[in-house]
Amino acid sequence: MQTLYLAIVILALLAIVFGAILGFAAIRFKVDGDPIVDQIDNLLPQTQCGQCGHPGCRPYAEAIANGEAINHCPPGGETTIKALADLLDVEAIPLDAEHGTEAIRTIAYIREDECIGCTKCIQACPVDAILGAAKQMHTVIIDECTGCDLCVEPCPVDCIDMIPIDVTPVSWHWQQPEQLIATSSLPHSHGESDHA
Amino acid sequence: MHKIWDFHGGVHPLENKIQSNQLPIVVMPTPKQLALPLSQHIGKAAKAIVEPGDYVLKGQLIASAQGFVSANIHAPSSGYVSALVERTLPHQSALSGPCIVIDTDGKDQWVELNPTTNPESLSKQELLNLVHSAGITGMGGASFPSAVKLQLKSDIHTLIINAAECEPYITADDRLMREYADQIIAGILLLQQLLGHPKCLIGIEDNKPEAIAALNLALSHNLGQHTNIEVCVIPTKYPSGGEKQLIEILTGHQVPHGGIPTNIGIVCQNVGTAKAIFDAIIKGQPLIKRITTVTGKAAANAGNYEVLIGTQVEDLLAFAKVDLTRTSRLVMGGPMMGFTIQDTQTPLVKGTNCILAAADLELAPVPDHHACIRCGQCEVACPADLLPQQLFWFAKAEEFEKAQDHNLSDCIECGACAWVCPSQIPLVQYYRYAKGRVKSINSEARLAELARHRFETREQRLVDEKTAKEEKRKIRAIAAAAVQAAKRAANPTAEDPIAAALARVNQKKQEQQTAAAPQSPEEVYKALKTAAAITRTKLKKTTTALANAKAQDHEQAASLQQTVDQLTVKAEAAQAELKAYEAKLGLDPEKEKMLQVAVAKTNAAVRKLEKALATAEDPQALEEDITDAKAAHQIATQALANHQAKPASAQES
Repeated sequence: MQTLYLAIVILALLAIVFGAILGFAAIRFKVDGDPIVDQIDNLLPQTQCGQCGHPGCRPYAEAIANGEAINHCPPGGETTIKALADLLDVEAIPLDAEHGTEAIRTIAYIREDECIGCTKCIQACPVDAILGAAKQMHTVIIDECTGCDLCVEPCPVDCIDMIPIDVTPVSWHWQQPEQLIATSSLPHSHGESDHA
Repeated sequence: MHKIWDFHGGVHPLENKIQSNQLPIVVMPTPKQLALPLSQHIGKAAKAIVEPGDYVLKGQLIASAQGFVSANIHAPSSGYVSALVERTLPHQSALSGPCIVIDTDGKDQWVELNPTTNPESLSKQELLNLVHSAGITGMGGASFPSAVKLQLKSDIHTLIINAAECEPYITADDRLMREYADQIIAGILLLQQLLGHPKCLIGIEDNKPEAIAALNLALSHNLGQHTNIEVCVIPTKYPSGGEKQLIEILTGHQVPHGGIPTNIGIVCQNVGTAKAIFDAIIKGQPLIKRITTVTGKAAANAGNYEVLIGTQVEDLLAFAKVDLTRTSRLVMGGPMMGFTIQDTQTPLVKGTNCILAAADLELAPVPDHHACIRCGQCEVACPADLLPQQLFWFAKAEEFEKAQDHNLSDCIECGACAWVCPSQIPLVQYYRYAKGRVKSINSEARLAELARHRFETREQRLVDEKTAKEEKRKIRAIAAAAVQAAKRAANPTAEDPIAAALARVNQKKQEQQTAAAPQSPEEVYKALKTAAAITRTKLKKTTTALANAKAQDHEQAASLQQTVDQLTVKAEAAQAELKAYEAKLGLDPEKEKMLQVAVAKTNAAVRKLEKALATAEDPQALEEDITDAKAAHQIATQALANHQAKPASAQES
């Protein structure tokens, strides 16, 4: 009987000690924030356009972590969906057309002589990419514009255009060579060499 | 004899150099027009400092370097700047970019030059400044600004002069060495001075015996002085002229992955650059001309030409008698690494070493490629020791991360793998595509990071602003309460100001009501009349609505009926009240009306008679009638006045 009590006491002590260690570890090595949200956020294009229905990319990342569909991001398009599908180990699904279609990247351009200096676009810009002050002409900092489109609608004089980004010799790159289709080739020269 | 090593891989394509290296360099006359792209070097484009219409002298600075990695551009001949326009650039993309166009005047008048007579006295920095201001870029093709390459601050033990010129067809450096060996050696001496006198190895392929002899002769002219310059003859193999490959051949060391030659104490310069540095420092001439090979079977006068930077390809082709009708492909650069150009107005730039006008079938037509058979020949040929086949699969499947893990960035795009490929797969194009995509993905990621940072900062700022506002409001509220409390404490008997104000308002209202109370009977009568009229109108309206509702069988008919009943009662009550008041005042509206009618009638009769009198034949009789009528009118008026005067008397009595 005494052995039994001894065993119970030893086990109880062990449980307390390990419990204390685990409890300490849980507090000491606590991970701040939700790392999966950060990982998802890293894959999103950070356009902050709100087309997904969330006020920015991070809120959408949080929503995805909570089970929202991964195909609500038109600026990211297929590439982002693929990357998200890889990360979350779910199937890649086509872009939800309800939230918009994948379009070429554009940037906002303010026709400066028409700008009345109302500052409405500045307030709408999610990334502070518009420079200006009340009753002063505004302008877009091209390098920092994400092309989210949010400044176009509030403009009372419609002086903001979304223009596609110019391809420069620096940004230009080669396209993938046309995929080979064996049957499309001219048969003569290669056919002859095959016989040789 | 310096020991030489070998690099992995490499190929031996047909050299085809004999076509263009037999004749001396011909100086091409100044063309009518020159177009100078602002960006003809790696790095930031230069900024134009001339305006259309300006007259410029030969060698005058027309565009200045912007930022650290950039190069000056000088006018290659004298003339007027005719325009600053977009022209097709000598670039794979065939995109256009800003160019300064100069219409030459044929005088070829130099700007005042500052040649140096004793370069030994110049400091490193002074030499560097001269190289920078002369706008010298690497002449081998990559066009990296030389001053930037030379001012890297690490110890250099070896200067390598790249004279390999390994690419087929090109002989520009070959001819340059044969004819300007002395100047090249002088340029190398300046480079050595600039870099702190490292030893110099000139790497040259053994297919250029005349050039080797010329260099050795130039060295022997000043024997003893140049003991640390050595001409190293290396076997002909493509691409031994690649910077990293040449370094490995001459030193046995490899440039580390992602590094540059200076990391291992080596600087590599092209022979053409050495000559340009000689021109810049000793002669004081900026980089405005270069030697360009024109070759290919379509060129009748294939050879090397000294051309001004900015010469348009068509002018050079015309001078070299190139038959454009026979040209199947026009390539800028060599057949391995060059690119096809479509626009013959494309200008020649500092890095253009060759124009290849290939006749039909001279260059293999772009073949239809077959499936990869995994023969592994590309791996054998790769001079960068990569796995071209793996890279091909990754590029094709767009698995760029894996491609990078397989050192895609170390690919020098020499084309050896594609050259050996039995399936004729355009491997280099796949790598170029993958590299381009990697670059754009990286730049997008950088932009996304910036956008995220700015977004988060902005969100934080908005939250901060809101809390600050709230804080301020709270502080103000507390301060106001404190002031109130202080006031009350100072004067405890004073009542609450709000309660006092309310009391004042109430008092005023009451005063108004009492003041309005004593009304004259006329006013009361009027008020009653109005009330009666209002209720009557309301009743009428509701009755109409009820009729409509009933006609349409509307569900509200019942409630309307109720309203009508209520209003009928109200209207009757109002009428009764009015009647009662009339009775009290002794008024009789009907009689008054009758009297008024009588007055109006008599008045009308008088008017009528007076009108008739104006045209009457017997005025006497009419006048009597008028008098009667006037009397009747008088009586009626009197009766009405009496009647109206009654209420007052009734009230008095």
